[in-house]
Amino acid sequence: MNQKTNIESSYKLQANSHKPLVNSNLLSKMNTENWDCKLAVMKYAKFVLFTFAFFLSTFALSAQQQRFPKPEFDSGYTQPSPVTPEPRALALEYFDVLVLLLVLSAATYLALKSRSRQGILWLSIFTLAYFGFYRNGCICSIGSIQNMVLSFFDPGYSVSITTLLFFLLPLLFALFFGRVFCAGACPLGAIQDLVIMKPISLPKWLNKTLGLIPYIYLALAVLFAATGTDFIICRYDPFVGIFRMDAKFHMIVLGVAFLLMGMFVARPYCRFLCPYGVLLSWMSRFSKWHLAITPSKCIQCKLCTTSCPFDAIDFPTNEKEVVKSGLGPKRFVTYALIIPLWVALGVFVGNRSHTFLSKANPTVYLAELMISKPEIKDDLDNIDVQTFRASGESMDELVLEAEAIRDKFYTGSMIAGGFLGLVIGMTLLNTVVFRKRQDYEPHKGNCLSCARCVDYCPVEK
Amino acid sequence: MKNKGIVIFLIVLAVVIIAVMVGDWYSKRPDRMEANKFEYNIEEFRKVPEELILFKEVKNFRVGFENPAGITSSGDTIYLVGDQKLKAIDIDGQLLLEIDFQDKPTTVEVEGENIYLAFGKSVKVLNRAGEIQDEWNIEGENTYVTAISGKEDFVFVADAGNRKILRYTKNGNLLDSFEGKADADDLHGFIIPSPYFDIDVNEYGDLWAVNPGIHSLEQYTDNGNLREHWQASGAQTENFSGCCNPAHFCFLEDGSFVTSEKGLVRIKIYKSSGEFLGVVAPPTKFDDKIEGQAPDVAVDNKGNIYALDFDRKVLRVFEKN
Repeated sequence: MNQKTNIESSYKLQANSHKPLVNSNLLSKMNTENWDCKLAVMKYAKFVLFTFAFFLSTFALSAQQQRFPKPEFDSGYTQPSPVTPEPRALALEYFDVLVLLLVLSAATYLALKSRSRQGILWLSIFTLAYFGFYRNGCICSIGSIQNMVLSFFDPGYSVSITTLLFFLLPLLFALFFGRVFCAGACPLGAIQDLVIMKPISLPKWLNKTLGLIPYIYLALAVLFAATGTDFIICRYDPFVGIFRMDAKFHMIVLGVAFLLMGMFVARPYCRFLCPYGVLLSWMSRFSKWHLAITPSKCIQCKLCTTSCPFDAIDFPTNEKEVVKSGLGPKRFVTYALIIPLWVALGVFVGNRSHTFLSKANPTVYLAELMISKPEIKDDLDNIDVQTFRASGESMDELVLEAEAIRDKFYTGSMIAGGFLGLVIGMTLLNTVVFRKRQDYEPHKGNCLSCARCVDYCPVEK
Repeated sequence: MKNKGIVIFLIVLAVVIIAVMVGDWYSKRPDRMEANKFEYNIEEFRKVPEELILFKEVKNFRVGFENPAGITSSGDTIYLVGDQKLKAIDIDGQLLLEIDFQDKPTTVEVEGENIYLAFGKSVKVLNRAGEIQDEWNIEGENTYVTAISGKEDFVFVADAGNRKILRYTKNGNLLDSFEGKADADDLHGFIIPSPYFDIDVNEYGDLWAVNPGIHSLEQYTDNGNLREHWQASGAQTENFSGCCNPAHFCFLEDGSFVTSEKGLVRIKIYKSSGEFLGVVAPPTKFDDKIEGQAPDVAVDNKGNIYALDFDRKVLRVFEKN
């Protein structure tokens, strides 16, 4: 009844509003007026129907609410509100930088000036406690490589001044004083240093070969960071789980395996994996004030040769033998000439492997997966697929994004391959470079400035 | 070879390191994700060791209800409510009585010569012949009666909507009510997250109520003072799981509890002290549903347990092994 009344009255209203128009042009507008009236009736009928349906739904909702009330848990327990951890205070971050600076200075003083192995040992214990267990292995100079790289390649990513200083300070110290960071300021080095029990000397060829791994690791770390794929240095930090007392089982296994290995192969992570060690090694080679085994003239007692667990002491060279063999210059020229070939080979390998490497990127992998297995989009247990679907992004957009990343990998993999080719070429070349040495000297690039050799040297100032 | 043992040890460690790194690398892919450890999976708890199952199903009846609602027993007679009916059957399933109502009853209880039926916000009192003797309306916007139980002088009505137990005289006079609350820390009051709030009086006249939100059974004096309680929380067979269990319970003649749970549907028995005795019907006896309904339970004078299975709409009879 109400509906009918409303429709009738609305019809009248509409008719009245058209009255002046009817008077002015009655005949010609007769049909138009009738049509307008019908439209108006339909419009108001819709409104009334909507109102009626709305009240019905409200009634149904209230009926549901009355059927059974919502529970009221009255146990006295107050649900705590979730708390997002605050970032570390800026002042404390600067304090960390200050601690690093002080530790680096102390390590330099203890290695170069006071020549105290014991002092460096205690310093590394402090480092382990502070940067390792207290700061949970983060921030760390080793991982900061990735932050630096990403900040160069991603305009939306920037590094803090703390990260920048953690990256630069050890390198600067290495440039002037050698790898004092490795000696006393690196928690990863410190934890390995403490477990050295019976270090064995590795064959030279094995040392050289394994010594290439950090370059590969560095190249991959830079490639993955530059493409926004992963921070693999952090991901495979074997000791961070021990520092945090919280890691997945397999990461604990990794850390323990490195420590067990470190009992016989001193500091295996530092020597054969650490990518930051590559940069430190480069810097250290130019260091003017590097640790010296003897404070005065070497007496060739050879006591220091067995002291270094890292095989980082170079022996005096036998100039006569090299000259006599006559092979030095020939090999040098040959190895120098094939360096471009190594680089070309590296670029080629990088080119061929970019597709494989790009699969490490979650976007690329997801795009390939969804193309090769379209049915996976219905897998409700696949969190990555469901997250992508929930994002509202289309498949085309995903593929475009994946292609852009793969392009980056194409270029990056070739650069990384070329770099590794150059490293291999230079390593081979170094094997035939004759460096005149009359005394036992620490290898500036490989020496970790731990001062063990200093303890063995009988020479006094 | 010098240091042969150490070299072998080092090679093994190198293999372990490589295996861990490579394994981790390949495991973190969208199609190689580890199983969701947070998945709601109660399959393990559906399995009950045979030695814990003390009863066996001997027969079952179709009750003829589209929506069964409740069951109780008195002597050899079983009373059932559902749809808009009350039915009484004997232990062989022969229909003795059938009465129609305007509304849908939610629960039934027999005490003395009276049959009490709840209809959400009211209680109808019938004699054994099924004639309506009285009707009590219960005040309150949220009132929702889920259980009735009686003893010589009083009738207790469980109001799940208002989370309290009302005490009536046999004549329908409301004497008092209580919510299970007190100053003492061990009394939280009734926590009723859903309309499952059962009460019963045992052979000794003790009033017991389920506090389903905390998985406890609590004994109260007639005027609402807590006398004792026991609690069993957990998904394991000997405990009660989910938001609100046990959903239904009744007593064996010796005062042992027969409990029925929803979700992970199972019927179990506990000693009067609350110690777990065994299982009447394990989860595998019921439909494999995520939200299985808890069967209402009753016990006859021979110690047989009757379970009104809401999912299968049958009355199932369990006899001791």
